[in-house]
Amino acid sequence: MKTIKDKVAKLSFVALLMTLSAAMLYTPTASAHGEKSQAAFMRMRTIHWFDLNWSKPKVAVNETMEISGKFHVFAGWPETVDKPEVTFLNIGIPGPVFIRAGSWIGDQLVPRSVSLELGETYSFRVLLKARRPGEWHVHTMMNVEGGGPIIGPGKFVTITGTMGSFRNELTTLTGENLDLETWGLSNVYFWHGLWYLIGVAWVVYWIRRPVFVPRALAVNAGKLDGLVTDTDKKVAIIFFVGTIGIVLLGMGQANSKYPVTTPLQAGLMRGMVPLEMPEAFVDVKVEEASYRVPGRAMQMTLTVTNNGDVAVRLGEFNTASVRFLDPEVYQDDSGYPADLLADAGLSVSDNSPLQPGETRTIEVTASDAAWEVYRLSDLIYDPDSRFAGLLFFFDENGGRQMVMVDAPLIPVFI
Amino acid sequence: MSASQSAVRSRAEAVKVSRTFDYLILWTVFMVLIGGYHIHYMLTGGDWDFWTDWKDRRLWVTVAPIVSITFPAAVQACLWARYRLPFGATICVLGLLLGEWINRYLNFWGWTYFPVNFCFPSNLMPGAILLDVILMLSNSFTLTAVLGGMAWGLVFYPGNWPIIAPFHIPIEYNGMMFTLADLQGYHYVRTGTPEYIRMVEKGTLRTFGKDVAPVSAFFSAFVSILIYFLWHFFGNWFSQTRFVQST
Ligand SMILES: [Cu+2]
Repeated sequence: MKTIKDKVAKLSFVALLMTLSAAMLYTPTASAHGEKSQAAFMRMRTIHWFDLNWSKPKVAVNETMEISGKFHVFAGWPETVDKPEVTFLNIGIPGPVFIRAGSWIGDQLVPRSVSLELGETYSFRVLLKARRPGEWHVHTMMNVEGGGPIIGPGKFVTITGTMGSFRNELTTLTGENLDLETWGLSNVYFWHGLWYLIGVAWVVYWIRRPVFVPRALAVNAGKLDGLVTDTDKKVAIIFFVGTIGIVLLGMGQANSKYPVTTPLQAGLMRGMVPLEMPEAFVDVKVEEASYRVPGRAMQMTLTVTNNGDVAVRLGEFNTASVRFLDPEVYQDDSGYPADLLADAGLSVSDNSPLQPGETRTIEVTASDAAWEVYRLSDLIYDPDSRFAGLLFFFDENGGRQMVMVDAPLIPVFI
Repeated sequence: MSASQSAVRSRAEAVKVSRTFDYLILWTVFMVLIGGYHIHYMLTGGDWDFWTDWKDRRLWVTVAPIVSITFPAAVQACLWARYRLPFGATICVLGLLLGEWINRYLNFWGWTYFPVNFCFPSNLMPGAILLDVILMLSNSFTLTAVLGGMAWGLVFYPGNWPIIAPFHIPIEYNGMMFTLADLQGYHYVRTGTPEYIRMVEKGTLRTFGKDVAPVSAFFSAFVSILIYFLWHFFGNWFSQTRFVQST
């Protein structure tokens, strides 16, 4: 019996400690390094980020930088993920190290959730104002209701200066100039402090007298007289009336100080305007695709037809933000994150210019450690083993064709 | 010393021991409340209590009182019935608010750098005082449930309005209208809280036009009464003394 009691006591103590610490230590999600742990098909077959640009590698507190680019909403959106009918253009940073000074899809400011169309491409930009010094990984990010966060590529940005000098100055429609960083803060402390003191006063009033043992004995013996005296009742009435009085007073004061207030603004935004993408004149058919596990390489057999009037060459394969380039055709000088850039990772069996009207079957190999590092190779263990990505063809006039590919993938283990 | 002998030898000593006992129990109760009530409120009230841009006229006003009247009802059941002590609700709220403030200040601000004026807790103290005084003066749990539960729900919004009113000033920002609270939510990036999970200003009370806060408060007050009854019985059950046959 005793051991059981001890065990129960011990366990409940541990449980208590756990709840206590769980409650005290709760911190809202701040980290954003989940990109590698996200299922490969989520990254390959949902949102494709491209043409990304982080405007500065280094900013001082109070300065702004911008992340801009495009994203393509994959038409073969996986069935297991909710369609992007309610989405939010977010930014993957470890907490408010920047403030989001603005975010746009096309020309539309998107502080709210938006609806996206499958198969469309959108341009976006996110304006960030530096707040907390440090070196931060800044990711593009799209939240999809029912699908979770879809994290794009991340790049390190350094913020210099001190957080104490950060200002978030604004002017309201009522003509008030304020710094949102500290606006209303002393008022919050005042009211919380005041009410806490009132609460403490009420409890202290009662515990000045003996509390538990004598009162329990008296209650058990039915001797209730004297446990609550007439003075106690008077004090209680003062607290009661005082509470209502302070509430009414505070309310009246707030209403006269802030005569114009509006309810919180919320709601879904529809009708995002997609980018006008020229119809691609290159036609690609995936004959076969396999992933060689030992070589960390993906091989595709593609039949490519050029229906345009200018010769093209394959320069880039982009999947899940990893970019495989053929350096002879295309080199990246945008400062794309190095770990996601296989700048010579794409080899094509015959990459001579594909003439207008010509059809050619080519062997394309995309190999890089990134397949493993970014756990894209895990997609061979997916229930629906497919891959998807963007192919970019370049012509000699500097034009670019974007073609989406989506096909089954066969793993090769030996 | 046999079990039948008293552990104290004089009245003065008895008083001293009883007093030490008072402080020990008060301390333990307070710590348990900080932990238990806080985690309960975080799981049920959660984001509505964390952020200014969730403190709206409909759902916050409705949800917060309903999920927070629980522990006060249970603790009142114990402290009043067993000891005639009328501070059950107040001590709960003191514990909750202390726990919340520690968490918001150290973690939300100190660790993650959300400004305190964005993540302060809701004020529950006015309701707690009213609840305690009503129980004390009426000496009736039924009356406390009805009148106290009502007061708890109704006083919540006016008790918080002086704190949140400054965050409801409208502002034009990049061609759209925001309240300052909305703008805080937009500026201070929460990667784990995308805009669409923000449950504010939703519901079927639109027919009441502009005055939705009082309607929400009345609805909340009615449900608070029911929850008070429910948790009163939990409290009652937990404060039973039972004797177990020794083996
Ligand atoms: Cu990262």
